Amino acid sequence: MGDDHRMTRRSVLGALGVLGASAATGALAVPDRATAQALGAQETVDAGLKRVFGGRPIKDGGGLIKLDIPLIAENGAVVPVSVEVNSPMTPANYVKHIYIVADKNRIPIVTRVALAPEAGQAYVGANIRLGETTDVRAIVEQSDGTLLQAKREVKVTVGGCGG
Amino acid sequence: MSDIGKVRVRIPSSIKAGDVVRVRTLVLHPMERIERDAQGKIIDRKYNYITKMTVTYLGKTVVLFDTTQSVSENPFFSFAVKATDPGQLKVTFTDTAGGRYEGTAEIKFS
Repeated sequence: MGDDHRMTRRSVLGALGVLGASAATGALAVPDRATAQALGAQETVDAGLKRVFGGRPIKDGGGLIKLDIPLIAENGAVVPVSVEVNSPMTPANYVKHIYIVADKNRIPIVTRVALAPEAGQAYVGANIRLGETTDVRAIVEQSDGTLLQAKREVKVTVGGCGG
Repeated sequence: MSDIGKVRVRIPSSIKAGDVVRVRTLVLHPMERIERDAQGKIIDRKYNYITKMTVTYLGKTVVLFDTTQSVSENPFFSFAVKATDPGQLKVTFTDTAGGRYEGTAEIKFS
């Protein structure tokens, strides 16, 4: 009986420890999980951005980035989002990556899209999950390394992230 | 869920040379979410979800999506491609269970 009690307490503390470690390092403490989820680790959005961009400054790109997402999402399990960036898409100047980030999701980095100049237009669309009312950001990395972001708040009626 | 891995690729019906076309893709896939037990601890098992979608056109990778579990079930993606020459547009999805699902669309000029 006493043993059972201690085990439960220990496992709870262990879980808390794992959460603390992942928040601190930006990667899951379990090694095989960390490699399996190179992009989509469970972490806070700040830790995720730091891990992916390494503290590089992110400028406001509201004029260049068109982030299209409903203001109110009734069903958090399927939220259509599209990102369009005003870019010439020539080999000298194009959009290299588009990230879609949902701040309050347990896995904040939703997707990373790598584009080639052959795409002709920096446009991506996807259906994403949102756990709760949150800011959704589109972060754009241009070929010269500049980071731009646009963000918008989405109200979520029923969350769709379960885990 | 015997339909897992069914891929649909849609392109506009008429395309002129040099057009930038919007392509829409859909794959039937459960995109399993992380489950937790009563203590809120993550159940450690291998979750099956799509991690990658590659688009190749004329033998070149044009767009590459790296996806996580924050993407909806039966993921839908859209993107743009500049149609320079007639040829095959191929979309390949890869999931964590080792599955590879392919869909193609033929780009023709009218």
